[in-house]
Amino acid sequence: MVTWNEFVWFALPAMLLWIAAGTLVYTKIQRRLIDLLMLAGIAVFVLFIVGMWISLERPPMRTMGETRLWYSFFLSVIGFLTYKNWKYNWLLSFSSLMACVFVCINLFKPEIHSKNLMPALQSIWFVPHVTSYILSYALLGAATIASFIQIKKQSKGLADQKLYQLMDNLVYAGFGFLMLGLLMGCVWAKEAWGHYWSWDPKETWAFITAAAYLMYIHMRLRRWHPTFTLWLLPIAFILLMITWIGVNYLPSAQGSIHVYS
Amino acid sequence: MWQFPWRYPESIALVFGLLVVGSVLQIFAGPFDFTLLLWPVNGIVGAVIVLLSVLLAVKRKNPLVQWLSGVPMAVALIGGLLILGIFMGLTPQLAHIHPGDKSLGTALGFRQMTTSWPFVILYLLLLLSLGTLIARRLFSFRKADYAFYLNHIGLWLLLFASGLGASDMKRYVMYVREGDTEWRVYNADGEALELPIAIRLNDFIMEEYPPQLAVIDRQSGHAQPEQHPEYLQLDEKPVTGKIDAWDLSVEEYIHEAVRNSDSTYRRVAMPGATPAVLIHAKNRHTGKTAQGWVCGGSTAQLLMTLPLDDTYTVVMTRPDPKRFISDIDVFTEDGAQGHTRLEVNKPYRVKHWMIYQYGYDTEAGKLSSYSSMELVYDPWVIAVYVGILLLAAGSVCMLWMGNRRKEESDGDVE
Ligand code: HEM
Repeated sequence: MVTWNEFVWFALPAMLLWIAAGTLVYTKIQRRLIDLLMLAGIAVFVLFIVGMWISLERPPMRTMGETRLWYSFFLSVIGFLTYKNWKYNWLLSFSSLMACVFVCINLFKPEIHSKNLMPALQSIWFVPHVTSYILSYALLGAATIASFIQIKKQSKGLADQKLYQLMDNLVYAGFGFLMLGLLMGCVWAKEAWGHYWSWDPKETWAFITAAAYLMYIHMRLRRWHPTFTLWLLPIAFILLMITWIGVNYLPSAQGSIHVYS
Repeated sequence: MWQFPWRYPESIALVFGLLVVGSVLQIFAGPFDFTLLLWPVNGIVGAVIVLLSVLLAVKRKNPLVQWLSGVPMAVALIGGLLILGIFMGLTPQLAHIHPGDKSLGTALGFRQMTTSWPFVILYLLLLLSLGTLIARRLFSFRKADYAFYLNHIGLWLLLFASGLGASDMKRYVMYVREGDTEWRVYNADGEALELPIAIRLNDFIMEEYPPQLAVIDRQSGHAQPEQHPEYLQLDEKPVTGKIDAWDLSVEEYIHEAVRNSDSTYRRVAMPGATPAVLIHAKNRHTGKTAQGWVCGGSTAQLLMTLPLDDTYTVVMTRPDPKRFISDIDVFTEDGAQGHTRLEVNKPYRVKHWMIYQYGYDTEAGKLSSYSSMELVYDPWVIAVYVGILLLAAGSVCMLWMGNRRKEESDGDVE
């Protein structure tokens, strides 16, 4: 039985491996070894997720703590893949670090969860909806990191065209998953509650977040106001965090249908 | 400003101006009345927007048309809606405004944003701008632009059908007692109406998850430990666990139990049966032990707790619902009849109505004598689904092709 009590025995090795990969990448060490360290960390982490899934007898996607597991997982995987593709060392270190931050939150502020899935959540849309969102959060998180680096470069007057290309690809892919998650949510809501969109606080904030990324996507089509355009990404990411975590604490969300446990 | 080509300043000025005009209208005319848009009016408004878009797109070399359907206008409009969205996301949205509420936020429509003039005006202009853009790009059709068409046509359809179509939607709740047939429903204002659909509730069935155990302070009723209450999740299989200083182990768990005269429990599957558990508890510090049955009780059965010492006692939480099912027969005026087992996430279609499992008497839980169902009439839903499908296909394109556009030159390439 794998439960949260065993988490630390998976979390520590995974974090050690990730951090090792994220630091050694700056040395002359063989690239193959970096890949191995990173993949080993991911494998350890996957083992825990699979174990939880089996012992909970449902996908571990319901509580905050459980979704953070996926966030760490996707951050490490996507960070690794984009690093392989674009050869940016900082991408590997940053995504490793971010993945570790979410692991640490789960270690120090775990939320003890019941394994009971309420009837509205028992749907085939549940897993793809949540997976799609978490994937998009990870991609957009990576894009935000890239935007800070670009802002710095731009303030020195030399924006990096290759970095722009990476950022845009991350945002396009992240936004694609964001929309897919949203649309699946609509279909699911229609099935469960009779309406696909009811301007519930969580839905309202999802709308706000999507609007912010749309502004970035469209502003990037022209070259006007590059600094404002770049700053849209950190702003959009803050809005995304409000949608994901903050909504539960807003006065407007008391009685929201999307606040579980 | 106001020198062609118009870009951001002019677009922002227009959006801002419309927000001001909308607010003035809101204050003097009250909220936008969506019942004005009942079919066929919404169809006519939609046709006008499409016609106007096509006409404007014919004049696509005109700088005003390029501005209306260009990137800066798109960004300004999306930005305007984003700001209204933030107001909406921070202010609790109310189904009913209290007549005595004279605050500025309420007067400006913040408490019912989707029916406020500023929101409706920006929404309509977005439909026109997006419509003109689509028409303009369709006039110079290129197959390579399929992702653009999927995203923008999908979104236009979705926005149009869900917004202008909203007034045609009808949602009612029906309460049916077990064994009864009902055709009266209630709207959001609590007014009763009669529908050409009747529903008979043959049976209401509910399954529950095994509940949890908690240790509470008998005086205050607070679950222990006070700051971070711990719970032991029960299961059909015996479990062990710890709460605070107590090690708990389950000796027997009965999901549907009825109390015997000697305060033990036996397995009986009958209405009013509740979970009961025989546990053994031991305090890790004092070595004190306790053993006995714990039961959460129901409207038909008393609860049972297990005292641990003078202060603390073990109690059972209310079980969470696993699924609830209404076994119903549905009748329509023309004599058609259907039978289904209605469940959350499994609605049932009759003619143009969808029937959803809605609720039950949560106090009585399993013993609820009625079930409530929501009846929804939504004639635009097909258009919404087509929009969702197109947009989903567009999202997949975004996923795998990323931004293929080369950096544009500084000029506006239209
Ligand atoms: C889900 C929503 C949307 C997505 C995914 C999206 C995506 C895109 C993409 C990828 C492009 C560049 C591709 C190309 O030009 O071929 C584009 C262009 C554009 N979009 Fe959107 N968009 C969305 C909504 C909107 C909205 C609401 C507007 C508002 C009117 C808008 C206005 C424009 C404009 C004006 C262009 C430039 C077209 C041109 O240069 O000819 N888009 N959009």
